Amino acid sequence: MNQRRQVTLVAAAATLLATAPLATIYETWTWCIDCLFAVGAVCLAALGTRALRSPMWTQLLAMLAALTIMVTWLFGSKGAIAGTIPTGTTLQHFGTLLSSANRDINDYGIPVPDREGLLFLTTASVGLVAILVDLVAAGLRRPALAGFPMLAMYWIPVLVHPDSVSFIPFVVGAVGFLWLLVTDNVDRVRRFGRRFTGEGRDVDLWEPSPLAAAGRRLAVVGVALAILLPLAIPGMTNGLLDRFGAGGDGQGIGPGGNGRGTSVNLFSALSGQLNLKSTHDMLKVTTNDPSPYYLRIGEADRLVEAGFSSQSSRSGKSVTSAPSTAPINLPGVTQKKYQANITVTNNLNMALLPVYSQPTKFQKLDSSWLYDPNSGLVYSNRSSSAGKQYSFEFLHTDYKPEALRSAKPLSQDNPIQRMDTSVPPQPKVDSLVASLTAGKTTPYDKVLALYNYFSADNKFEYSLSTETGTSGSDIVDFLNNKKGYCEQYASALAWMVRAADIPARVAFGFTRGTNRQNDTYTLTNENLHAWTEVYFAGYGWVPFDATPTAGVAGSVSPAWAPDVNHKDPTGSTGTVGAPSSAGPDGSNPQDRKLPEDPAGASAGAHTQHPSAPMWPWYLAGAIVLVVLLLALPGLRRSMIRRNRRPRSAVGTGVRATAGGEIVDSPPGEMRVVEDAGRAEAARADAHTTWDELIDTLVDFDIPVDDAETPRVTVARLADSMLLGAEAADAVRLIGQAEERARYSRIPLPATGLSESLRTVRSAISHRALWRTRLRAVVLPPSVLRRWRGGLVERTSSVTSTVTRSWDRTTRVLSPRRLIPGRATAR
Amino acid sequence: MPAPEFAAAAEAIVHNIDQVIEGKTATVRLALAVLLAEGHLLIEDVPGVGKTKLAKALARSIDCSVRRIQFTPDLLPSDVTGVSVYNQETRDFEFKPGAVFANIVVGDEINRASPKTQSALLECMEERQVTVDGVTYPLQRPFMVVATQNPIEMEGTYPLPEAQRDRFTARIAMGYPDAGAELAMLDVHGAEDPLVALQPVTDAETVRGLIATVRDVHVADAVKQYAVNLVNATREAPELRLGASPRATLQLLRTARAVAALEGRDYVLPDDLQALAVPVLAHRLIPTAEAQLSRRTTDAVVADLIHRLPLPTDRQRSPYNTRPATPPRDPRDPSPRGR
Repeated sequence: MNQRRQVTLVAAAATLLATAPLATIYETWTWCIDCLFAVGAVCLAALGTRALRSPMWTQLLAMLAALTIMVTWLFGSKGAIAGTIPTGTTLQHFGTLLSSANRDINDYGIPVPDREGLLFLTTASVGLVAILVDLVAAGLRRPALAGFPMLAMYWIPVLVHPDSVSFIPFVVGAVGFLWLLVTDNVDRVRRFGRRFTGEGRDVDLWEPSPLAAAGRRLAVVGVALAILLPLAIPGMTNGLLDRFGAGGDGQGIGPGGNGRGTSVNLFSALSGQLNLKSTHDMLKVTTNDPSPYYLRIGEADRLVEAGFSSQSSRSGKSVTSAPSTAPINLPGVTQKKYQANITVTNNLNMALLPVYSQPTKFQKLDSSWLYDPNSGLVYSNRSSSAGKQYSFEFLHTDYKPEALRSAKPLSQDNPIQRMDTSVPPQPKVDSLVASLTAGKTTPYDKVLALYNYFSADNKFEYSLSTETGTSGSDIVDFLNNKKGYCEQYASALAWMVRAADIPARVAFGFTRGTNRQNDTYTLTNENLHAWTEVYFAGYGWVPFDATPTAGVAGSVSPAWAPDVNHKDPTGSTGTVGAPSSAGPDGSNPQDRKLPEDPAGASAGAHTQHPSAPMWPWYLAGAIVLVVLLLALPGLRRSMIRRNRRPRSAVGTGVRATAGGEIVDSPPGEMRVVEDAGRAEAARADAHTTWDELIDTLVDFDIPVDDAETPRVTVARLADSMLLGAEAADAVRLIGQAEERARYSRIPLPATGLSESLRTVRSAISHRALWRTRLRAVVLPPSVLRRWRGGLVERTSSVTSTVTRSWDRTTRVLSPRRLIPGRATAR
Repeated sequence: MPAPEFAAAAEAIVHNIDQVIEGKTATVRLALAVLLAEGHLLIEDVPGVGKTKLAKALARSIDCSVRRIQFTPDLLPSDVTGVSVYNQETRDFEFKPGAVFANIVVGDEINRASPKTQSALLECMEERQVTVDGVTYPLQRPFMVVATQNPIEMEGTYPLPEAQRDRFTARIAMGYPDAGAELAMLDVHGAEDPLVALQPVTDAETVRGLIATVRDVHVADAVKQYAVNLVNATREAPELRLGASPRATLQLLRTARAVAALEGRDYVLPDDLQALAVPVLAHRLIPTAEAQLSRRTTDAVVADLIHRLPLPTDRQRSPYNTRPATPPRDPRDPSPRGR
């Protein structure tokens, strides 16, 4: 097979392997089939144009055309000629698909079902990646660069779903990439012709060349580094080791109905059924608010026949900047600042974070999280709530009913009034609202009348499923049957309030919960809830929970919306515990502010810090560690130098001066050294001084040659280095001492060696550039090279041992041994 | 022999020869070192640079027996070694010693004699004895052959056999004198031959004493190891077809001792070996055909080896060594190689 053709095929296969990580974000494998078609089309186009030897740009055009045709065939048959040639209509359809994909990305948690928009996006992207990989690997013959687009595909699940991407898809993708590299390199080597190992003998194709030893060594070091380095970095350990023990995703099913996987469906249906199979802990809330209201996680303000759905477009600012929440300075409104600390378990996995109303300051959240003051939501386009821990400050607001009663209706051109009062035409609802609000003048009285309608006196009761009706409208059925759970109550009240021309929407989140220990609430999927929020001019969005308190664990009834079934003079009740048990609770509600308010951060004092942030400690630790690591070579060098101080300073009868004058013993005259120990000490001193001199030379970048005798080295230093007369004499003395210590019967005594060494060192240092000087102190090359040498020696010995044993094993196991004449050749 | 006497005697010889050969002190000292190392000297250079003069001056400076052989194509082995002649008076064969029976034998233009004649020198050079008609005659001590040859003019010459080349301890080239020395030569040699006026400054007895002193020079283990490594390196060098023999190792060390003693040291330095490697080793080596084609002389190969070969020490190896400890393997080596 033509080599280029093979690389093209392998590039396509590698691209397909690199899509493996996408498996973690899809529920089914449909995307895989689509991608197979797209990549196949690209590959065929590449093969065809290359067979025709057309230039690179035509190859690119052909691949793009093939991808377009394939995508049109798969997704855009609307208006396409022969189902494959796209027209303007098709392109419009693609635009629709893309925007629906955008919506799906916001609405769905992971894993996502087969949404056509998402599949279209995935297939088109994978096709483009395939084109890039093919161009780079087969066209430009730079397969290493193909790793970038392939890596980009791995990023998608990691960014969307940072905590549950298994390492296996990465390995699959990496294998594809390596395959591509190997194919290209084998091709390269083959183009040289015969493989040649330098020994002039023929080699079998699969016999490793002698160069392979170096490659093996590199590979061993590389793999060891790749494994050990992430373990050494504290933040990354989680990423790698936890993968091995990670189980499946937690399955949380909320009262919100069609809870898909671990996320909460933000659609408040007017009919449906609730299945509570099991209970999971979803979050832990610690707050110093004695009676917190509900935790908000989402809101829905688009009303259709079936219920309220959430809008996809949000405009928020990063939570690292202070949210623009201003206090409401109106009589009858009390606001207090509190702190809350929330730990989300892995069972809640959404791109939204639960917060109390009117947060004023966030902590421990990175800038990927955004806060939208209009909807009061904290959301992210990249991060997930699973496993998050964060804290924030918020304003707990109480409204007196009289104060709300003073609120005037909004003007008709107010955007909130315009947007949040639209209802589908439903005459029965309109007439019911008209009869209920007859005679009420203020918005609050109207809302309260509608709210009080959902009472046990009117036969409303809590039920986990709605009953079907015959009216053809879900809301009319609910109002007739009077059975449902929170979604129906919240949606119906919001609808009716809107029908009374007052802005309303549905909020999703958690009730206060019943599992309380000191200041900490543990909230489960049973605490998931939906309620109504009504907008009052000047007061903002005020919550009303119309669901019968008996059905909701941990619900709260504030003063402005008292429990319709338990009239209380204080006007405030709260049910705690099981659906049947209800008890009084002095709880205070809160609400949010007008979104139009300019950014005016509240100036309240910090109440407390639940825990000091840890990152300064990590940072300080890291800095100390780095400094220690950097100081290590220098310390080691000075330790070596200290160990090399001459020990004996007494002569053995041979006089030495700094000028190098030596009264020598004549040849042939046996000189008896009286004290053998002293001679040995002098020898050792000369050696250590010499070693220190050599290390100094290495430190200061002066070449050192193993083939040079001490005499030559000294001559080089003294004559050609411009060290000055004194240093030249000193270096000659050191050289003579070493020479005699090595080769003579009688060593030169160590008088003046250390002084000479100091002289030489200072002369060399004086001559060196400041950079060299600094490096000689901080990162002395002598120490670094010795370490490197030791490392190389050790890895070489390890790899050679491994290679030898591997070779032995393969030789024993290889069937080629049985071929005559083959085994003896080795 | 005490050091001052040794130095004085050696210096006297060098100075004496210097009177005849101007500006060649290093060559003269090397020649003397070969004498003190009990070796033989091959002087190889173009005609007219003073090869024969050096040989004769060295011989003349020592008061000992000197014989000169002019090697010609018709020279016979018996002319060199001697011959048994029938003596009618004693009615017996009588041995007439040849030219080699002397302390110093000067062989001029040695490559002009046939290999048959040259081989007559083999026994006497190595074993310092002559065997004629089954009778072995020992030669005098010291015994030294100083041969000259001309490498340029090859017509009518016979290249020295490898066995004989190996018996020469060192091969030196005279080289042209520098300008000053040549000028001085014109002054001195213009009128008369200074060789005639040259007087011996020492005798055979003194030379034997010098030789004994040289044998006493200390050689550290590291230096011995270096000599072995160096010779081994010539055997493994890819550019050489034939490396140096163990005899070369011995002679290298012996000459190094002599050089060290001449420099006033009682110990040998690796520097001595490095300085002697080319004169002592290069003439014994045979380059490969490829090296010959690329004009690589054995001198250059040996000089390269010296630059590459790491110095052994009795201590731990230096961590800065980046070269392989042994030179590359000979590609001609037919022995099987494991992976």
